[in-house]
Amino acid sequence: MIPSDHFTRFYNEVFKFLEDQGEEHLEAYWLEISKNQEKHTLKLFKEKGLKGMYEYWDHIRIEENCDMDLKLDDEKLELRMNVCPSLSKVLDNDAEPMKRYCDHCAGWIGPLIDKVDHHLVYDVIDRNKPQCVVKIFKDKEKAIEEEKNAKLLMGWPKKKK
Amino acid sequence: MKPILLENLYIKVNKNNLDQKLRYNDGGNVHMDFHGATNTTIEFIINKYGIDTMNDIFKKVGNDVYKDIKDHIKKGNIKMLAKHWQHFFDRENADYNISINDEEIILTVNRCTAYEHVRKLVGNVSPNFCDQTIKTNEALAEDTPYEIKTEILGEAACRQTIRKRA
Repeated sequence: MIPSDHFTRFYNEVFKFLEDQGEEHLEAYWLEISKNQEKHTLKLFKEKGLKGMYEYWDHIRIEENCDMDLKLDDEKLELRMNVCPSLSKVLDNDAEPMKRYCDHCAGWIGPLIDKVDHHLVYDVIDRNKPQCVVKIFKDKEKAIEEEKNAKLLMGWPKKKK
Repeated sequence: MKPILLENLYIKVNKNNLDQKLRYNDGGNVHMDFHGATNTTIEFIINKYGIDTMNDIFKKVGNDVYKDIKDHIKKGNIKMLAKHWQHFFDRENADYNISINDEEIILTVNRCTAYEHVRKLVGNVSPNFCDQTIKTNEALAEDTPYEIKTEILGEAACRQTIRKRA
């Protein structure tokens, strides 16, 4: 068994292999993970919108030992990841970290948020630091406006224009 | 040596007789859903690239991610692997036991909670789910004086034995 605690280091090995095959291979995998995550989240997000997203990430915050602040208001959900356990483990690793490890997160979350007609702004800030800011808006124009403030804005496969 | 003799000949592992520091010594909560993502990944990679590719990735996990344990095995310190098993099977609340002596260590998993969690999440567990154990173990032992044999005893049950090569 690869312990669940070490999944991210296994994930990192998968990413390195797929990156060597080409960008479309990585994106196909992120979409597969996104589909897998739909099982836990799609109904919740569709039915409860931002409140459902808050519930999901609050559960993740606890279960994955994230140092993360969550803020919900009528217009948006904001996740401020102060210390990301996923990237932290990949960096604390005897195997080489994939340089774009952070990209997978927007890679699976983006398609899911598109599917429930909300708008994701994913600022990774710096791929070498285990921190990021994620904002999910109800209103598309507000999301587009917020994108201008991002330091390192992430995209994802088939991002809605 | 027949397993039936183990109770007499082996020292059962407890918290006090594996006092070594693990390279990855996770604490806090456990996110078992990651095993579901592992299952999805195994299916994805095998369907798209074939089983050899999946096995190559597990080999990298064994050789690179677990380099520290492998280095210990090379030097004859196989107790570090037992410590690793103990730490993570405890964290995942598995039903298991470890028997240990100077020559070999046997881990018997009676109820693998990773396998059971995936079955609960997705219904059908990949027939290759346990390859993560088999192939990672093989890589851990490769180029060391030891072999690691993984026997699947049934659904969610296995025996893993590390001993000196004949």
